[in-house]
Formats: sequence, structure tokens, C-alpha cells
Amino acid sequence: MNAADVQESSELRLRPPARRVERRAISWWMLRNAVACGVPLAALIVAMVLWEPVRAWFLMPTIALALVLVAKVAVEPRWRFGVHRWEITERATYARHGWLVVEQRVAPTTRIQTVDAVRGPLEQIFGLSTLRVTTASSYGAIAIRGLDRHTAEEAAARLAAVAELAEGDAT
Amino acid sequence: MTFAGADDAPWRRLSIRVIWIDVAVSVLALMPGGIAVIAFDVGPSLRELWPLATVAAWGLVSAVGDAIRWACTSYRITSTDIERRTGLFVRTSRTMHRDRVRSVDTSAKLRHRWAGLRVVTVGAGQQTGVGESALVLDALSKTDAAALQELLLDAPTAHQSREDEAPAAERVAILASFDPRWVVYNMFSVWAYLMAAGLLWGAFWLLSSLGIDLFGFVAELVDWDSLGWLRATAIALAGGGVIGAIGLGVNFLLGYGNFVLARVHTHSGSYLRTRRGVLSTREVNRDESRMRGMSIGEPLLWRWMGMADTNVITTGLDVWDTEEPTAILPRGPISVARRTVAEVFGSANPLSSPLARHPRAALRRRLWWATALSWVAPFALAVPAVTGAVAAWVPWAALAVWPVALTGAFIAYRALGHGVSGDHLVVRSGLLSRTTSALRRDAVSTIAIRQSILQRRLGLCTVSAMTAAGWSAYEAPDISSRGAVAFAAQAAPGLLDDFVDGEAARDRG
Repeated sequence: MNAADVQESSELRLRPPARRVERRAISWWMLRNAVACGVPLAALIVAMVLWEPVRAWFLMPTIALALVLVAKVAVEPRWRFGVHRWEITERATYARHGWLVVEQRVAPTTRIQTVDAVRGPLEQIFGLSTLRVTTASSYGAIAIRGLDRHTAEEAAARLAAVAELAEGDAT
Repeated sequence: MTFAGADDAPWRRLSIRVIWIDVAVSVLALMPGGIAVIAFDVGPSLRELWPLATVAAWGLVSAVGDAIRWACTSYRITSTDIERRTGLFVRTSRTMHRDRVRSVDTSAKLRHRWAGLRVVTVGAGQQTGVGESALVLDALSKTDAAALQELLLDAPTAHQSREDEAPAAERVAILASFDPRWVVYNMFSVWAYLMAAGLLWGAFWLLSSLGIDLFGFVAELVDWDSLGWLRATAIALAGGGVIGAIGLGVNFLLGYGNFVLARVHTHSGSYLRTRRGVLSTREVNRDESRMRGMSIGEPLLWRWMGMADTNVITTGLDVWDTEEPTAILPRGPISVARRTVAEVFGSANPLSSPLARHPRAALRRRLWWATALSWVAPFALAVPAVTGAVAAWVPWAALAVWPVALTGAFIAYRALGHGVSGDHLVVRSGLLSRTTSALRRDAVSTIAIRQSILQRRLGLCTVSAMTAAGWSAYEAPDISSRGAVAFAAQAAPGLLDDFVDGEAARDRG
């Protein structure tokens, strides 16, 4: 096979994964981003109010951070909901995530090393769970966020059962 | 020496010569202080002698600690495991399965070589960051170390019988050996200044405890005040650079002298073995069945002289290790790197295959990013400049990085390339170090296709192949989005079949 063959010999497309995440995830993302951006923004504003010499330095960063906060609360969660999708077949786990940067990841079942359903404190409020599938590569993990906790646990159990069938040390 | 096969194998001790070394270290540690007092007539007051007293105390403490370690350490090899017990107050017992052993490496500092000792490191493919460590036996006699190495690396797997096999049929093919001219490639780096600082600091303390003031000597050498700060800085930088470069050169010659890269065939497989070192020696064996590919990196600043780093992509070796176990060649000329890589790969060398160029849009993306990042600092400094917090020219000065960034964008674009050659996926990218990596396609454990908003507008995608070996992720940045899925499907054959639209995937097989 020649290296040049790779180039645009035919146009293949990946179809989107079959399943959407829970609509509740939108609220979760909103709350998470409001906390993550709101705290530093509040700190900057307090510093500017209390301490006059830093005002000139902090004005631009504060405006920039305020714009980021608006984007992350008003735009990002809905956008993410449109992007995030997932699918688990016998042979592979396939997920799409992101908003400004969209990433599609596929990991073969034979290479799966661990499967976890993880719930953070904010996720617990909304009854959500993250399904985390890791392979032997330290960058190769697939995290499917915003699943209903029962769905995630079910998927984790099913995937663990399938993955155990595969032999070898998965490297 | 024989290692018993039964599970009641006897416990063995480290070599008794470890104790000799401890005695020798103690004596050596006391010597500088003694010489200073006797020969140089330095007053035996603590104020003048504290650096030497520190050296003596450190030497004695480490020697005694080492002797205790010897007394408390024992190990044994059973038919299935390697066991090691160590520790005086906290007894630690480590057991490692023999079929998990990935590497058995030996190293020796000068003191070990004088005593005929080798430090044996048994690795089981530990992952960094997990907190696992290799099993170290410090130290065994040279013959014991060689026997242990042969036993562990050559061990037939459980279902094979040892009796049928020819005894130690080891075939060695030398692939590359040391060339003193390589020192030129290893003398110039930013580390030279750190080296110079260390050398000067050491010299200053050593001489000052002998009553010589190095700082005063240098201060009197030249009339620094009349030179002005610009010239004085230039002289200091040049002087430091020269001292550092010489230090790095000597360091390289001592560390890499006698370097030999060889392929060792045994009946259970083959290894890439490097041996190096004039005073301290180090031997690393890399199991070829764990190898997933190779990469050649060319640092930007030295590309004109054809400098190259050659590494194997393999599981179980730490890419962050300062001793660089993945490097199968020291930094040297690219011609040697290419020749060696070709020999390791054999007939089909993926690193020499032609790579597909990336679309012009990849250059536009880099130019956009270079521009955006160059304008961040001027933008952030605009308000302080207007209000007079900093001088008005500062934002404009900050903009001086723009042309540099645009040049960098162009160089980074020129470095891009990707392709599939035989069983390997080949990607090339990198600004500061243009790295060409060939990764075995069956080693790819996850495929990711990434597209940002800017990339979508430009019709680009980034394809990453994740693997357990080497740097864990190998990327083909900014390939045409029309060809991206096809490339990803070739990089990990069969993986994307379930998710591809249309017939094309099945036709390709």
C-alpha cells in the first residue's frame, strides 16, 4: 500500500452514534460552568473594587471572563446537548463529545481495560452519571457524560461482561 | 551458579562486595577533609571545614545505610516468581511473576565496576504515574547478574520444555557503534548553562574550603566596571556557554563511550540491546515483541546540521526517564539514525516511505493561530498603556513576536505529513522537534477524530491514534476532512466498520 493512497481516494463519513444523553445534562452543565467561571470572576471584581492600583490591569481580563461566563452558561450546554452522543456495540464503544471542538472516539472492546460509572457531587444532584471506559493508552479513555445513572451502571456492567471475553493483556 | 527450579528455592543474598564498596566510600569521604587539614594547613574549625564535613558525614551515613540494606536484603527465584525481601524497620516483600518480566537491565557505576558488581533492574512493564517501580537488586556479582539476566530473559514459557532447546544459542548482530564525532551533536544545548552553573558552584566551594577565592580571582581578571554591563553580560554568557559545552561534551563521551547497539537473538525472541559508558556502564535490553514502532525527532535549531534523536516506541519503558531507555542511539547525525532505523525495521522501512502533504488550509490555520496568540499580550496591555500604568511603546514591543510566530507557523506546516506504509501508520509533525513516528497499526487501541470550528471552516480534521506504547497518542494534525475517516479506518483496520456510512469501508476490507 502506498502512502499516497490515503488521500481522498474515497469520501468516507462516520455516522453519528445512535443514542443521545439525558436532557437533564443541560442543567448540570449550566450549573457546573456557572460555578467554574463565576468564582474567579467574582474574585476579580472584588479585587478591583477593593484595590485601586490593579483596576487598569484587571479591566480587560474581567470583561473577557464575563463574556466567557455568558457563553458557557447560555450557549455551551445546549450546544453540547446537540453534539454529545454515544453507542456501544459488541465490537466497539463509540462516542461524540465537545462543542467548539468536536471529537469522535472509537475504542475496540478487545482493548478495554476498565469500565467505571462515576458520579460527581453536582452530577448526583441531577441523578446523572459518567461512564468512563479506559484502554491501555493513558490518553485513550472515553468518558460518556450526562447519562442517567441506571443507564450508565447497566452499560458498565454489560461492557465489563463483554470485555472479559477478550483475551490478552490489551496492550 | 544455578537457580533452583523448585518452589523451595533457597534465599540468596546480594554480593558481599557491596560491603567493600561501603568501606571504600567511607574512606574516600573522609579523605578531602583530611587532606585539607594536613596538606593545606586549613584550621580544623567547623566554620571553614563545613563543606568537607558535610561530604564526610554524607559518605559515612550512606555507607552505613548501604551495609544495613545489604544485611537485610535477600532474594530468590522460584519457577514462577521473583521474590525480594528488604528493609530493617519496615520489612518489604516484593513478588513479581516471572512471565510478567519485560526487561532485565544492568548498570554499574565506577565503584561497582571496580568491585566487579552489577546493579540489576527487573522491569515488569510498569506504567508511570501508577507508582509502580521496577525490582532492583543492588548489587550482584558480574557473573551472577549475567546468569540472572539470561535466566529471566531466556526463560521458556510454561508450556515449552527447556530440555529440547539448544543451550544459550545467542546470536548478536551489531547495528550501530560509537563514533566520537557525535560529541559535536551533544555539546550545544540550553542545559550547557545549568551544567556551567553546577561546575562553577562546585569549583567555588571546593576551592574556598582550600582557602582559594574563585570569585575574587575572576573579579580581578578583567576590569568589569570599564566594560559596561552589555559587554560584561556577553562575556559572562560566552564564558558560561564554553564551560557548559565542554562539560556536556565530556559528560557525553564518558556516558556514551563504548556505545553499541545490537540485536540479540535468543530462542525465546529477540532484543535490541544497548551498552554504553566509560566509567559507569549501562545496558538496556528492549524486547522486540513489545516494540510498537520507532520515531526520529529533528530539533528545530539544529536541523541545519542534521541532528536527530532516535527512539523506539515500546510498552514498559518510561519516556520521561532521564536516562532515556527508549533512545536506541545517542543524539547524532540523521544519516546514522536513518540507517539504523532501516536495519531495525528490515526490508520494509515505514520511516522512509513517502508521506502525503497536508492541505494548504493547514497552513492557514497555523497562521490564524499565530496571529491570534500574538495579539493577546498587546490586547491585555492596551488599557494599562492608555492609563499610563506601563509605557506606551510596551504593547507595540509585545507585537514583535508576531513575525516570529508567523515564521513558526510556516515551519510547522512544512513539517506535516502522514501515511500508511505496510503494517505501520506514519505521522510527522512538530515545530521545535519535527518528529516522524511509525506506529504499528495493530497497536492502535483508540481512534479519535477531532474538529474545531476553525478546522470545520477550513475543511480539516485531526486524527489521533492512541496506544499503550511510547507517548500514548500519535497525531496526524490537520488532514483534509474528506480523507480523515478513510485515514482513520486504515490506521486501525476494522475498528470503524460498524460506524461508517456507505459501502466503501467493506470494499476495502
